[in-house]
Amino acid sequence: MIGLLLRVLGNEYAKPMRRTVALMTVTAIVEGLLYALLVPVLHKLFGANPADAWPYLLGFAGAVAVYAVLRYLSDVSGMRVGTSMLRGMYYKLGDHLARLPLGWYDATRVGDVSTMASKGLLAALGVAAHLLSPFISAMVTPLTIVAVMIAYDWRLGLAALAAAPLVAVIQKWTARSSAAVDAERHERDNEAAGRVIEFIQAQPVLRAGGRTGERFGLLDDALRDVERTSRRGVGAVLPGAVSLTVTVQTVFTLLLVLGTYLGLGGDIGVAELLSILVLAARCADPLLSLSDIGGKLRGARVELERLDTVLRTAPLPEPAEPVRPDSHGVEFDSITFKHGDRVVFDDVSLTVPVGQRLAVVGPSGAGKSTLLQLLARFYDVDAGAVRIGGVDVRSMDTEDLMSRIAIVFQDVYLFDGTIEQNVRLGRPDATDAEVRAAASAARLDEVIDRLPEGWSADVGEGGARLSGGERQRVSIARALLKDAPIVLLDEVTSSLDPVNEAAVHEGIERLMAGRTVVTVAHRMRTVRRADRVVFLDGGKIVEEGSHDELLLQGGRYADFWNISTASTASG
Amino acid sequence: MNVTDLVDAREQATPPPEVDSAATSGARVGSLLRPFAGKFAVVVALQVIGALAGLAPLLAVVEIGRGLLASGPVDRDHIWTVVIIGAVGLLVRLVFTSASFGLGHYVDGAVQLGFRRMLAAQLGRVPIGWFSRRRSGELAKVVGDDVSAVHPFIAHAPGELVAAFVVPLASLIYLLSIDWRLTLITLIPVLLAMLMVPFFMLPARTQEQKDFDAAMGRIASSVVEFVQGISVVKAFGGAERAHQKFLRAADDFVDIFSKWVRGMSVVAAAMQLWLSPPFVLLVVLIGGTSLITGGDLPAADLLPFLLLGLGLTAPIAALGHGFDDMQTAGRAVGRIKEVLDVEPLPEPENPVVARGHRVELRDVRFGYEDDQEVLRGIDLTLEPGTVTALVGPSGSGKSTLVQLLPRFFDPTHGCVMLGGVDLRELGSRELYGTVSFVFQDVRLLRASVAENIALAVPKADHDDIVRVARLANIHDRTLELPRGYDSIIGEDVKLSGGEAQRISIARALLADAPVLVLDEATAFIDPQTEHAVRQALTARGTDRTVLVIAHRLETIAHADTVVMLEDGAIVERGSPEDLLARGGKFAAFWQAQQSAVAQVEPSGAAVPGEETR
Repeated sequence: MIGLLLRVLGNEYAKPMRRTVALMTVTAIVEGLLYALLVPVLHKLFGANPADAWPYLLGFAGAVAVYAVLRYLSDVSGMRVGTSMLRGMYYKLGDHLARLPLGWYDATRVGDVSTMASKGLLAALGVAAHLLSPFISAMVTPLTIVAVMIAYDWRLGLAALAAAPLVAVIQKWTARSSAAVDAERHERDNEAAGRVIEFIQAQPVLRAGGRTGERFGLLDDALRDVERTSRRGVGAVLPGAVSLTVTVQTVFTLLLVLGTYLGLGGDIGVAELLSILVLAARCADPLLSLSDIGGKLRGARVELERLDTVLRTAPLPEPAEPVRPDSHGVEFDSITFKHGDRVVFDDVSLTVPVGQRLAVVGPSGAGKSTLLQLLARFYDVDAGAVRIGGVDVRSMDTEDLMSRIAIVFQDVYLFDGTIEQNVRLGRPDATDAEVRAAASAARLDEVIDRLPEGWSADVGEGGARLSGGERQRVSIARALLKDAPIVLLDEVTSSLDPVNEAAVHEGIERLMAGRTVVTVAHRMRTVRRADRVVFLDGGKIVEEGSHDELLLQGGRYADFWNISTASTASG
Repeated sequence: MNVTDLVDAREQATPPPEVDSAATSGARVGSLLRPFAGKFAVVVALQVIGALAGLAPLLAVVEIGRGLLASGPVDRDHIWTVVIIGAVGLLVRLVFTSASFGLGHYVDGAVQLGFRRMLAAQLGRVPIGWFSRRRSGELAKVVGDDVSAVHPFIAHAPGELVAAFVVPLASLIYLLSIDWRLTLITLIPVLLAMLMVPFFMLPARTQEQKDFDAAMGRIASSVVEFVQGISVVKAFGGAERAHQKFLRAADDFVDIFSKWVRGMSVVAAAMQLWLSPPFVLLVVLIGGTSLITGGDLPAADLLPFLLLGLGLTAPIAALGHGFDDMQTAGRAVGRIKEVLDVEPLPEPENPVVARGHRVELRDVRFGYEDDQEVLRGIDLTLEPGTVTALVGPSGSGKSTLVQLLPRFFDPTHGCVMLGGVDLRELGSRELYGTVSFVFQDVRLLRASVAENIALAVPKADHDDIVRVARLANIHDRTLELPRGYDSIIGEDVKLSGGEAQRISIARALLADAPVLVLDEATAFIDPQTEHAVRQALTARGTDRTVLVIAHRLETIAHADTVVMLEDGAIVERGSPEDLLARGGKFAAFWQAQQSAVAQVEPSGAAVPGEETR
């Protein structure tokens, strides 16, 4: 467990962690030893002269004081280690998430990762701060007490010791049987959480189909699965808890019978026997609490393993010696790329000379957006190479690569914050004047003028408080501010009305000026201005040339164009 | 999988859920728990009997001690009887507490399921607009984590809390019967611990607790944002800076957490020390030794205090231990109730059936916030068999207006009528069967393609699904998927934005409702689809009522009526030709659009009246 914790976090925490564990162990041993003083105290009290007990009692008091100090120190130490681990883990997770390939992120990740960042990390912290100390004390104190018993009476001591291996075996066995159920429960919980999110987001459509909560089978099934799994979880945990209780109680009964037998035979002093029985009763509680603590530890362990899995997912490899290209032509050199089992590109080659504009056209699902993502290295190609200025993007430093590319996405995602913060993301160190200039070039200033809070208007989660066209203007301003030599546009104007489209186009024209541009478009109008057009279908380039050439060719592109103009005419 | 499987069998089996908006959430939670009252009582009884039986072995040790320490010959039979009673006590404890644990968790599972279903039902009833102000992740947390947080309340609290009080009480009475002075001394640690409690309730502590919760919330939402916006994070690069918001939230959280813990560490440590077995034993021993040496207490009578005295701290420990859980559960219940307390859109008691499907808006006013009206007195009639184009600048209220038709919101003033009946008088099934829509933000479910298309018409057969898929231009793509129409979206395949849009169009086509509301920008995603949708819509031909948020000049030109919206009010309406001829606001808007289009594409656009209809 601690090994896992340290592996997840790295060795810088090993030393304070070891110190904490040592401190907690010493505390537990002191507690056990302190009980040993009970024997002489009781011996004197039950003897002829009870006042002789005082010196031992004084010793007992001294031991309690030592115990108190140790316990405080180990609590504080545990908390300190836990807190610094928590911080370390957040940083590690944050940095790692930013480096994982985009392909890693799918619909279920958002829920997974957010649970991990809240529940998971706190569970890990809890190990050090809350669970470790009771766990160590529940193991070590009874063992110390047993050692004390052996010292006073080996027969009773050994009888008590018999419990130790049994308890250990049961702990292991319970751990194994509940691990499977825990994992399943987690899966069901996540499944249900995903369904709830879906259920909420699809409300309009679901209501149209008359599906209220209890009639939406997918969600209800998920909820019932959660219940069934939790019921099965009880079935898995109960036998372990019961057998632990049986063991502890049997051993106590054994001590009771054996002790009575020995006491009645006069083989052991009454004070010793009674002290040992009191101590045995003292052992029972912490041992019984083991099943509870064990369950919590397992929960924390599962969270840690999950975290470990994420942290061990390899990010896209970084080059040891990054190369910096000195020009910005783009080249796709016979690339092959698979997404899962699906071949997206099969031996595709393309070049865009510096300062030229390439338009990518094709039916949806043809991989147009993926082409842009490969250039920005959201994924790596399976074969071939993507180059910028003749340099493979894989030999470039990611920061450097990203600084050369400005992307305007089809779905604009804005961060919950002000418009200004979102624009500034393009270049955090830009001056106010530069930010204002980018905004007016993207015709974002019109939007800002209209909003009561202006620049400091909050855009809401994902930019929900702005319309599609307004979001798009923010993202163009962001790209303009970034001022990168390569511009990637992904169906930028597909869902805009003409006025917004015109505004956005004006911004885009400014963005494209003098830069290398790859644009994905299905509004045919935007394609005509490109220097070259490629038509993509089925993972291949089907046609390639200028707009006029392709129209003359009368192929797929021409069909596309004709349908597009026909729908305008037929209404 | 058959599409109709989606609809749970209970749809037929149970009457529709009672919609009783007058019932408070508290009453509803109560009614949820009531059927389990008997079982709760059994859980408590089992736990109490088991816990009391657990005292037997301790009492046995006391009796053995008394027997052995007594002067005169030892009564062996009595001692062995005592040993047997102690052993039986252990067995009873084992059986009863295990039974209580098992039953408690069983009930817990059932109650949690009940809570979650209640929440799901509620989420299916609240006005759609309510969701726009909430993060769906947070709501999922209410249904998931918050309901789970109630677990200790249900599964543990009844048994354990009662046991934590009953057993010490029984012990206390027993100890009092032996020696009241030593009993009072034994209570000293409990008293000391109770004196610590107010320190946990200091305003500073409560404030820190609140800060902690807030910081935790910030972490959760910043990580959601971080992950959802990951493409932007990557595009604007710098692992160092783009996610600094998340790291800031993390730093903040850790700082607040440390401060909170530090503030309590000394008090908590003191409290734990007072309740720790070594300290309790020390107090009992000192008190006992004083009494014994003074000749006030027989030595054997010290034993019960050594054995049972520790148990007296249990209520404080249970309270302290359960305090966090209980606070967490309390906050969770608060959030659950908050969701349950949202007023659903009221369902009519006696739904009226609409006559025809003319849509009328009468003096409709609406605002999302009380002080900001988005629609300001709209009067509008949509005749069957006509297409009405809604135009106007962005922010004029077009999207809000169309959302009133499927009753995402109720107007704050005036009414929306369908076939002469106020939407509020109409049963929701009938409303949604009549009004179909294609809006922005397509959400697909993690279900098969067929199920996604048939979402609004669960009983549709496969041929119909294929037919609309063809029309919406998604059929060929679907056949390419690993399992065709049975491919699970999100598992077998990830669809692009355009493909998702097509599925939503197929949905609307399948629904084939007599009233159709659509946003052109999202409905016409590419030339091929636009063409298909236009054809499919006109194929029904005769009497469909269509309201479209129009952006394309060609759509506007071919509408029967154009309604120009500005700042939440209708400024002009009429046929496109008449409006152009009038030379008013619409004409100006038209010119602006046209020059905007010309800017993009110099070949010009359609002018109304110049083309054959």
